[in-house]
Amino acid sequence: MERRVVITGAAAITPIGHRKDEILDSLVNGKSGVAPLREDDLLSGYIHSKVFGTVGYPIAYDFDRKYRKTMGPVSFYACQVAKEAIEAAGLERGFLSSGRVGVAFGSTHGSPTVQRDIYKNFFSRSQSRFSSIGAVDYLKSMVHTTAVNITKMFGITGRVIASSTACATSSQAIGFGYETIKFGMQDAMVCGGADEYDTTTVAVFDNLLACSTDFNATPHLTPRPFDLRRDGLVVGEGGGAVILEEYDMAKRRGAHILGEVIGFGCNNNGGDLILPSPKGVAEVIRLGLENAAISPDQVDFVSAHATATKMGDIIEAKAIHSIYGDVPYVTGLKGYMGHTMASCGVIEAVITLYMMEKGIVAPTLNLEEIDERCAMIRHVTKLHEFPIKIASVENFAFGGVNTSIFIKKFE
Amino acid sequence: MTRGEIQSRILEIFKEEFEIENPGLDDDLRDKHEFDSIDALDLLSRIEDLLGSSLTQDEKKQAMNIRTIHHIIDYVELMAAKRS
Repeated sequence: MERRVVITGAAAITPIGHRKDEILDSLVNGKSGVAPLREDDLLSGYIHSKVFGTVGYPIAYDFDRKYRKTMGPVSFYACQVAKEAIEAAGLERGFLSSGRVGVAFGSTHGSPTVQRDIYKNFFSRSQSRFSSIGAVDYLKSMVHTTAVNITKMFGITGRVIASSTACATSSQAIGFGYETIKFGMQDAMVCGGADEYDTTTVAVFDNLLACSTDFNATPHLTPRPFDLRRDGLVVGEGGGAVILEEYDMAKRRGAHILGEVIGFGCNNNGGDLILPSPKGVAEVIRLGLENAAISPDQVDFVSAHATATKMGDIIEAKAIHSIYGDVPYVTGLKGYMGHTMASCGVIEAVITLYMMEKGIVAPTLNLEEIDERCAMIRHVTKLHEFPIKIASVENFAFGGVNTSIFIKKFE
Repeated sequence: MTRGEIQSRILEIFKEEFEIENPGLDDDLRDKHEFDSIDALDLLSRIEDLLGSSLTQDEKKQAMNIRTIHHIIDYVELMAAKRS
C-alpha cells in the first residue's frame, strides 16, 4: 500500500522571526537573524567565533506546569511549534489520541543547558543542595525529550521516532514521517526538530575550524553561502514542525493543504564522518528523485544545505550541478539565520512552503560575489517572483548522513 | 520545627514549586492535583533542604505511598525527629 502524503500544518521559531509574516518579511527585506554570541561563564571567552543565529525575541508560552516540569529549553521550542502546527492543521484531540497519529521529532542532543547544569552540580564541591541532580533532569535533557514532551502535551499515542542525526535530524524526521504514512502505519505525523541556544555546539565547530570568525564585528554579514568571502558556518537555534497527513483523510475533512511530500532520499557516505562526499550527496538527490518518480528537470527550486564552509559549499554545488545542471533556482537559507542544527531541515522546508504559497524565491543572503568554484548552478542573488512547483530540500550531517525531501505545490 | 511551621513551609513549597495553591490537607494529591511520582521526587529534594540533611534511599522509598499534605507533614515530622 502506497498512499499520498500532504502537509496540512507548519510552524517555525527561527532567528529571523516566529510567525509566517515575520519570516517572509525578513526574507523579502534581507534581514539577518545572526547576532553576537552571548557571554556565558564557561566557554564563550575561549571561542573564536563570536556570532550566533539567535532567537532574540520573547515567545509567549502558555504551558501548564504539568507539561513544563519535564521540559528543557529545547522542548519549549518543540512543543510551541508542534502546538502551532497542530492548531493550523485543525487536528482534534480525539484523533491525536487514536493511535493513528505519531511523532517524528528530534534534537542534536536533547537539552545541553540542562546537561550542563547537571554536570555543574556534579562537579561542584560547594553545592548546598543534597540531591543536586533533579528528578526530572533526565527527562528534560534526554535525546528524545522533544518527541515525548510533544506526545505528553497532546496525548499522542502512536509511534515515536526520535531521530538525532545532528544537521539531518529534522529532515530525517520529515522523511521517516512521510514513509510511515505512505506505507499505512499511521495516518498523520507531527514531524520536526529543535535546538536551543548552546555554546558547546559552537565550541565543537570552532575546534574543527569550521566556524565563521571574520565577521565577529558585523554578525549580519555571515554566514555567506557560496560567496567568495565565506569563512565558515554560524551555529543557530530554533524549532520547526510540520503536520504530515494521509491525502484522502485530509481531503475528506476539508483541511487546507500546504503542499505534498512526494519523495524522500536518505543515505550515508560510508566513510568520512566530517567531510561531505560529492558521490554521497549526488546519490541522495538521485534517490529522492527516484522515490518521487520525477525527472531532474521537473524540480524548479533547491533549498541547499549550504552551511558556508569552504569545502562543503563547493561539494554541494558540484553535486547539484551533476544532477540538475543549472536549471533550478538554488538558495542557501542559512545565510539568513545560520545553521539551526537539528531544526535546519524542517525550518528550510517550512520556509520553502511559505515561498511556494507567496510565489517568491528568496535570495541567498550575503551572497555578493559567487565563488567561481560554486558558480555552475543557478544561484539566487535577488528576490524573484516565481511560482515554485516542485522543490527539493537538501540536508547533510556529521556522520555522513544525507537527506533530500521533495515537496510539490498542491493545486 | 513545630508542626505548624512544617505545614506552612510545605504549603509554601506547593505554591511556589508545584503551582498548587491552598490544597486541602486531606486532598488526594494525585487525583485532585495531578501530583505525580516526578513531583514526589522533587518534593523529597525540597524536604532535604528543609531538614538540612540527605534522606536515605529507604527513607525516600518510605515516602512513595504518601498521598496527602497531612501525610507529608507526618513524614517530615518523623524525619526531623529521627535527626534530632
